[in-house]
Amino acid sequence: MDSFSQLQANNLGCIRQQKPLFANISFQLHSGEMLLIQGPNGSGKSSLLRLLTGLSTPFEGEILWYHEDIQKHLSAYWNNLHYIGHTNGIKPGLTVHENLKLAGHLRLTASPGNLSTILTQLQLHNHQQTLARFLSAGQKRRLALAKLFLFPRPLWILDEPLTALDANTQTFFLSCLEEHLHNSGIAVVSSHHPIHFNKAIVKSLRLELC
Amino acid sequence: MLRAVWFVFYTEIILLLRRSHEWLYPLGFFVIVISLFPLAFTPDPVFLQKYVPGCIWIAALLASLLSIENVFVTDTEDGHLEQWLFGEIPLTILMLAKLCAQWLITQLPLIILTPILGALFHLPWSSSVALCLGLLLGTPILILTGSLGVALTLGLRQQGVLLGLLVLPLLTPVLIFGVNIVQQAQAGLSITAPLAFLAGLSTMALTLLPWAIAATVRVSMDD
Repeated sequence: MDSFSQLQANNLGCIRQQKPLFANISFQLHSGEMLLIQGPNGSGKSSLLRLLTGLSTPFEGEILWYHEDIQKHLSAYWNNLHYIGHTNGIKPGLTVHENLKLAGHLRLTASPGNLSTILTQLQLHNHQQTLARFLSAGQKRRLALAKLFLFPRPLWILDEPLTALDANTQTFFLSCLEEHLHNSGIAVVSSHHPIHFNKAIVKSLRLELC
Repeated sequence: MLRAVWFVFYTEIILLLRRSHEWLYPLGFFVIVISLFPLAFTPDPVFLQKYVPGCIWIAALLASLLSIENVFVTDTEDGHLEQWLFGEIPLTILMLAKLCAQWLITQLPLIILTPILGALFHLPWSSSVALCLGLLLGTPILILTGSLGVALTLGLRQQGVLLGLLVLPLLTPVLIFGVNIVQQAQAGLSITAPLAFLAGLSTMALTLLPWAIAATVRVSMDD
């Protein structure tokens, strides 16, 4: 047992509709490390990520953040993480600018200084007054990812972050992810795309269909 | 923190105004249901004065259920509710801000419309005022209890009818005191007692229900 592990899962198991989805999943992540979850559709990647966010409770096993069970300290744990699921978590009825402003207010952070730089890098600066519902799938994804870069938090839990992104944005996102790890952040990412980072910082987990 | 809550309130208002069907349809429903009552009974002014306040209350009850039905649907679909949890502001306060916005946009127009509808049905001015006061204190309870029902049925399909079955029996006290206010006013008696009862119920709902709603929403995400 490593005493420096920050995110640790012990014997996680998940049951969906009376069927076991996965069982006995254990891993440890230290700061600066990333867990890459791979596996076929329906193997439970998203369910595992939701368990790690604490939104769902595991059927068996426990998840520890700095050696404390996250289910017992949920609101404190939630202030440490970013979660982007399939749904992006943006309001289609608000503009890009309003969405980011709302995200800032929810985190009690007044408008971040690097807003315009990041919007330019994500090619969203021309769409600031566009309602999010009129954005393309890739632009919505970029808007969701913008929150990661604007409001720094140590743990990123990302469900298929690369889907719908074009090649340039994928490269940009991966460089940001690498920088996040370099700044001793932690990331748990599920992806069908291969992510070629330094082998030392990427741990891999493969889920199989049961 | 206060500024952040205010901004959440503001965005909820913008969102509701941009989805105008969510408050315009229930408002139209309210007007149409009330105008059906004289057709079903008799257009006699004396009769209408006696029974229209009750009809307005029932119509308001149904319209509020109609408007509250979708209160969390879009938020769950676009994953925004999860993002609320990851923020620094307690979910209870966010819920309170959201439901205040909901009340302001869906219920206030209905209350403003009531004196006009009252005038159409020969309701004396004093009764209209009593009716409005009753609605002003009663509609927050409708909204809060309704959203608790919605939160409880969040994961289910066909939640609409179930919502009515769950919530309408709980709302009978509001209806009783609400209609009682108008009856007292029409009989020339003091309306303070039923008003105080409604105010009490409203305060209780306002202080306790946001906690219950936040807790229920939180549980419903654990699927």
